[in-house]
Amino acid sequence: MRIRLSRLLAGVLLLSILAACGGATATTAPSGSGTTGGAATGEPIPLGVALAQTGNVALLGQEQVIGAKLAETYFNNKGGVNGRPIKLIFQDTAGDEAGAINAFQTLINQDKVVGIVGPTLSQQAFSADPIAEQAKVPVLGPSNTAKGIPQIGNYIARVSAPVAVVAPNALQAALEINPNIKKVAVLYAQNDAFSKSETGTFQNTVTATLKLELVTVQQFQTTDTDFTTQSTNVINVNPDLVIISGLAADGGNLVKQLRELGYTGLIIGGNGLNTANIFPVCQKFCDGIIIAQAYSFAQENAVNKAFREAYKAEQKKEPPQFSGQAFTGVQVFVEALTALDSKTKLNTLSLEQIREQLNTQILAGKYDTPLGQISFDPEGEIIQSKYYVAQIKMDETGTNGTFNFIR
Amino acid sequence: MTLTQFFQNVLNGLSIGSVYAIFALGYTLVFSILGIINFAHGSVFTLGAYFTYMLTGLAVGFNGVLATTKLPFALPFILALLVGSALAGLMGVLVERLAFRPLRDRGSDRLLSLVSSLGVAVIIVNVIQYLVGAEAYSYRSDPFGLGQPTVNFGSAERPIPVRSVQLVIFAVSMVVLIVLTLIINRTKLGKALQAVAEDTVTARLLGINTDRLILFTFFVSGFLGGMAGTLVATSQSITGPYFGIAFGLKGLAVIVLGGLGNIPGAVVGGFVIGLAEAFVPSQYVAYKEAVAFALLFLILLIRPQGLLGRVQVQKV
Repeated sequence: MRIRLSRLLAGVLLLSILAACGGATATTAPSGSGTTGGAATGEPIPLGVALAQTGNVALLGQEQVIGAKLAETYFNNKGGVNGRPIKLIFQDTAGDEAGAINAFQTLINQDKVVGIVGPTLSQQAFSADPIAEQAKVPVLGPSNTAKGIPQIGNYIARVSAPVAVVAPNALQAALEINPNIKKVAVLYAQNDAFSKSETGTFQNTVTATLKLELVTVQQFQTTDTDFTTQSTNVINVNPDLVIISGLAADGGNLVKQLRELGYTGLIIGGNGLNTANIFPVCQKFCDGIIIAQAYSFAQENAVNKAFREAYKAEQKKEPPQFSGQAFTGVQVFVEALTALDSKTKLNTLSLEQIREQLNTQILAGKYDTPLGQISFDPEGEIIQSKYYVAQIKMDETGTNGTFNFIR
Repeated sequence: MTLTQFFQNVLNGLSIGSVYAIFALGYTLVFSILGIINFAHGSVFTLGAYFTYMLTGLAVGFNGVLATTKLPFALPFILALLVGSALAGLMGVLVERLAFRPLRDRGSDRLLSLVSSLGVAVIIVNVIQYLVGAEAYSYRSDPFGLGQPTVNFGSAERPIPVRSVQLVIFAVSMVVLIVLTLIINRTKLGKALQAVAEDTVTARLLGINTDRLILFTFFVSGFLGGMAGTLVATSQSITGPYFGIAFGLKGLAVIVLGGLGNIPGAVVGGFVIGLAEAFVPSQYVAYKEAVAFALLFLILLIRPQGLLGRVQVQKV
């Protein structure tokens, strides 16, 4: 009897796990007939989405999944690809390189997708993108902002503007708030390719462009949760501005511990902190963090208004950059597929031909997206006209916050 | 290094180390009785933090199948901490039933239970993520009502700040250490536990209900794990379902360093590793774990039984 009970419990737990896995890979079906009356029917076109749904990067990945699913529903309701719906196939990359490689291989070889939106981290892109390049499958990086991503290959492009272009805007905004900034402390996660790339841009802007004094550079790891040592090291040199390049959980904890130990100056957060998911980590201490943005929910075009409304209806808050960029990634695929299908019917092409011609089409097109008007240079780098800077404002309880656009 | 910096590093080390110590106490307890490593301890630690979160009446976030649900009541933080830890203790009992007892009943190799407990750990973490999502959670700010976020151990011009919540963790790990030591050395229950640790079969022949004592050990270990999870979460927030797993490896290092199964050793080991990390020069601070493990390696070369461990005499 005892053994039977434990077996039963084990069975229940196993079922929950299977359900959990099922949940992670499930896709949303196009919902209903929509309001436009032109909902897509017919055989769906499989598009791969490889994002971090588990692991510590899931904080960012979950925001991207929401954006991608909203795009799927939105464009399928508008008629999909000339009447054929797209079907997003999600593969979890988790937070590491091996997970990203597995997800890419499954999407390319088993799920036979026409293209891939992903992965979440630049760190993952450097190891997974070459696989897609070899298989000649177009990839759009929704949040890979490190230097050198589009240069991985012909099939690799990104809708996430590189950190070198976006990040310096935050420093300009900080100097507008406090023109007396002289001493700057920089902290970065040394085990993350993106954070290393971003801190390079920040440090270069501080010393070469703005001629400010870089008083200390501290390193940490994205898996760290205790930042006592780094925080006291920073406070000892008494900086006017602290710049942090890390991810959400570590970055949030760093801000919290820095503030608790007595730092009162301005803080700039990198793109890894660019999510409302840091609010529960640093709570009231998140207040005032300055973050450069490639997306603003206030951007005024029809597609962003529709995206913002759908996002708010579902999530009860304003859409963040990661969701906006993931939406854009899916949109670029849908519109490029539509343009391609209008030239040559997709069902007359083999999968290899679709992938190859789709890649050419992506780079040739212009897209009116939630990020504004975008296009690509021949290497696959995004050409985007406008960037923004936001400052976090926490409410009095320290549980909810907003990104206020200051630039 | 100035004197102020030295004291700051010492206090930083004790504050970092107290987190390791409080994690390792429940971990080492199971080892001291059963001689096995319970890899599920990190996930029970995580669960404890989530239980407390729910019991304080806060709602689940927007991800996971339980999104936005909350309990119909809200307990004060300290009560939620105790009830949450008790629930974690029950989870510890469940872990014993699922991962350890079936193997023990069959007389399997002890190494197998290492793997089965690892399996349970992975399952628990994934169930948590399925239910409540991967986002971070934190308690209402200042749950202990400490008022100020830091205590200054230096002067006004040369401050040596330590976060108040770290002092709470330090104090609790000390109290737990004393209570556990007293129970094991001064009570009948403790004597029975020692007998089980010495030889399970003989203890059973002497009329000790070993199964019940083992369950009790897992309950206490789970209780301590859950409490540690909550306390660490007040300092660092619950950074996601993987929150406790990160402490597993470090916790293992701590109990090996202190002497496997030695309860004061877990605390000493925690502080030694914390201090080693705190004294890593600032330009190498990202590599503090490598320094901590190098220290572990060196100490084991000199004292294979750990800092406070006794040499095991193998009787033939």
